[in-house]
Amino acid sequence: MNKEASLSIAERDFILNALREDVRLDGRQADQFRPLTVSFGEEHGHVKVQLGKTSLVVRISSEVAKPRDDRPFDGVFTIALELTAMGSPAWENGRQGDLETYVINVLDRVVRHSNALDTESLCILKGVSCWNIRADVHITDYDGNLIDASCIGIMAGLQHFRRPDAVVKDGQVIVYGLDERVPVALNITHKPLSVTFHTFDEGKRVILDATRKEEQASEADVVIGLNNAGDVCYLSKFSGSPVDAMVFVNKSSVALEKVKQINGIIDKALQTDLAKRAKSGMAEESRAENDREIH
Amino acid sequence: MSSPLILLPGDEVPSEYLPSTNSAPLRLGAGLRLLTQPSSNPSKPPSHVIAATQPGILSTDNRKNAASILSTPNRRYIPTPNDLVIAQIHHSSPDYFHCMVTPQAPHALLGQLSFEGATKKTRPMLKQGDLVYARVLSMGLGAGAEVELTCVNPATGRAEPGGLGPLTGGMVFDVSIGMAARLMRASSSSPEQQEAVAGLVVLEELGKKLEKTGGFEIAIGRNGKVWVDCANGGETAVKSTVAIGRCLSTIDEHDLNPTDQRKLVTRILREMKIES
Amino acid sequence: MVGPTATLTPLSRADGSASYRCPSTGSNILGSVNAPVELPARRDALRPEDATVEVFVKPGTAPGGVGERYIENVIKNMLAKLILGREKGYARRGVVITLATIGGESVGRGDSYLTLLPALIHTALLALLSAAVPLSMTFSATVLAVNASGEITREPSEKEAAAATSLHALAFSSKGHLLLNESQGAFDFDTWEKVHARALAICHGTLTRTSDGDVAMAEDVDGQPLEGTVRETVEDKLHQDYAWKTDAP
Repeated sequence: MNKEASLSIAERDFILNALREDVRLDGRQADQFRPLTVSFGEEHGHVKVQLGKTSLVVRISSEVAKPRDDRPFDGVFTIALELTAMGSPAWENGRQGDLETYVINVLDRVVRHSNALDTESLCILKGVSCWNIRADVHITDYDGNLIDASCIGIMAGLQHFRRPDAVVKDGQVIVYGLDERVPVALNITHKPLSVTFHTFDEGKRVILDATRKEEQASEADVVIGLNNAGDVCYLSKFSGSPVDAMVFVNKSSVALEKVKQINGIIDKALQTDLAKRAKSGMAEESRAENDREIH
Repeated sequence: MSSPLILLPGDEVPSEYLPSTNSAPLRLGAGLRLLTQPSSNPSKPPSHVIAATQPGILSTDNRKNAASILSTPNRRYIPTPNDLVIAQIHHSSPDYFHCMVTPQAPHALLGQLSFEGATKKTRPMLKQGDLVYARVLSMGLGAGAEVELTCVNPATGRAEPGGLGPLTGGMVFDVSIGMAARLMRASSSSPEQQEAVAGLVVLEELGKKLEKTGGFEIAIGRNGKVWVDCANGGETAVKSTVAIGRCLSTIDEHDLNPTDQRKLVTRILREMKIES
Repeated sequence: MVGPTATLTPLSRADGSASYRCPSTGSNILGSVNAPVELPARRDALRPEDATVEVFVKPGTAPGGVGERYIENVIKNMLAKLILGREKGYARRGVVITLATIGGESVGRGDSYLTLLPALIHTALLALLSAAVPLSMTFSATVLAVNASGEITREPSEKEAAAATSLHALAFSSKGHLLLNESQGAFDFDTWEKVHARALAICHGTLTRTSDGDVAMAEDVDGQPLEGTVRETVEDKLHQDYAWKTDAP
């Protein structure tokens, strides 16, 4: 039973017919995201994302580990996502479904393979120790568009996270506690996000940020991953019926606009959080940030 | 109404809260059970208490001499005989349609001939994904027994109340089962009473405002599904249907009171550009 | 002392859910319950008249391991005693409980879950209540640390727990039964008796006998008994859900 209940014919037909009149079930435009809120918890790298009724928690953590043998100068970055029965009663605990594999694959490509997190900066001592950064994505409510929501959560988390400071002294690695030395922000090279489109009516209707029911009623999906500069780092049409090449061309510019908008929301949330921390006497982090900018 | 009695599982129901108007036996509904405590003195009869098994508000009916617990409105639907539900055909076998009433639950059975006037030749040919408005006939006996549905009153052979049977066209919206129960009560009472019995004015309000554009048909399933169709709506049919769906889910999600329900209806109809 | 805070039904997809925060241990748990759901047939073979309870504990920043599987069993065995799996619609079905550590320190690989246990089972209870799963009774739980000088600390922080000679997690049903008794470290019977008395007071309040012989629950240094926190959380949510009914003119 690792599957959402299928849509009824009435729902499928209605969603399609409504889209032909440019109407979506929640009254949105075709190119409109659902309301998005990004908020941070007490710990660094603890993010809560609410996108319409889809919600998730991302937690970033770090530990010192041994680098991979073939990459002695690189740290390790892993994205872990496990769909549990919390997100949807249709998901079974401890059993991996197709959706999970697919989402992890896309997240890996958009965030990890595009080198959004500079893994070389995670090296502490060549071939001996490095930082192992882990992003855990907990899906708490599933109502469509897991990929974009997870991407937003991971990127916001990486920007919010602070790892402990570590130095090498006489060949020994010393890791300072969070209260001993000001923790260090991660080195983010660019901020890629994904925008997922779904097509209907033989590719004639294209919408973004589909809800669960819209996803189920759609013919195919197209994922575009890109950063604020418009560099496309991921493009896929994984399954479903064919999509016209012009959709990719036209929707790339829509995606760029959305990525800029969402990155703006993340920046604003980060600033609000920083201001809150500064106010509550936890100003060290913000000072450290300024120091680094001056150097 | 006096302040309600809220019970948690294990709490005993104080006897003064139970109906005591007549000598007929007390009927216990959902969320309550009778516990017998053997008395310490063997010569005395054991004592009985009524205890809650679900959290909720105690609801009593003096006329029927019944008591039950109104529990959390977001819970999963469990089929109960006599409930009206909207079921979705999953597949059919020679004798039955196998239907989904709740997701991630076993299929319920609907006899191929359990429709008004159905014979082997005239029975509806339903396919996967079709919807039916049906009544829960029985839960079967014993553990793991199948739930059976019907679209006729077994006594009369008619679709009673009217409307039981296949639902064609339209759209289904999901609401909480608490909301479904309220909508059910509201739609079975006169427009003036809806506010009093269920705190809902949305159906009455939508009915008034959409009258000009052809009105709408609605079927409410206790399994948290609402079917809406604006077949006479012409050009505005789709928009009106979406508007009704949005009104219902917003009210469900935000627990809107009657004043806010009226405001919401006006706002959404304006947003969707439906003239009223 | 700042007591724990809880929210009922914060999620929309799961049948029931709850979030629970305990400021002193720093734990923040989100729980969901789906019930009654169909499970693959292999799991109902043993007791066809009863529901199957499944518990899944998901750590916040690490993959699950033996520590999680062990604590899942402890939680499952305790909850299975309270869940009325023979009620209508539950036989042969599953009650799937998912608990995720969404805040606070994660338990290290192989470390004990004892300090998190009360938060986990409180979350599970509230999520069960939110899903209206039939229960015979409710409960409340706490964890106590005893240090070398015999001092008892309620709901210890990570540091306090590390410094303790023994840790005890106890749960009491709403009728006063001892439902759960998990301890680790070295201790003697006298210590356990003291721990038991203190835990009972934290969960149920102190019993004080008034002059006319009535037994009344009183609050002491431990503030509101935990039992009351559970009850209030549920009552608040029900009041909100049924405002349309109770506030009606």
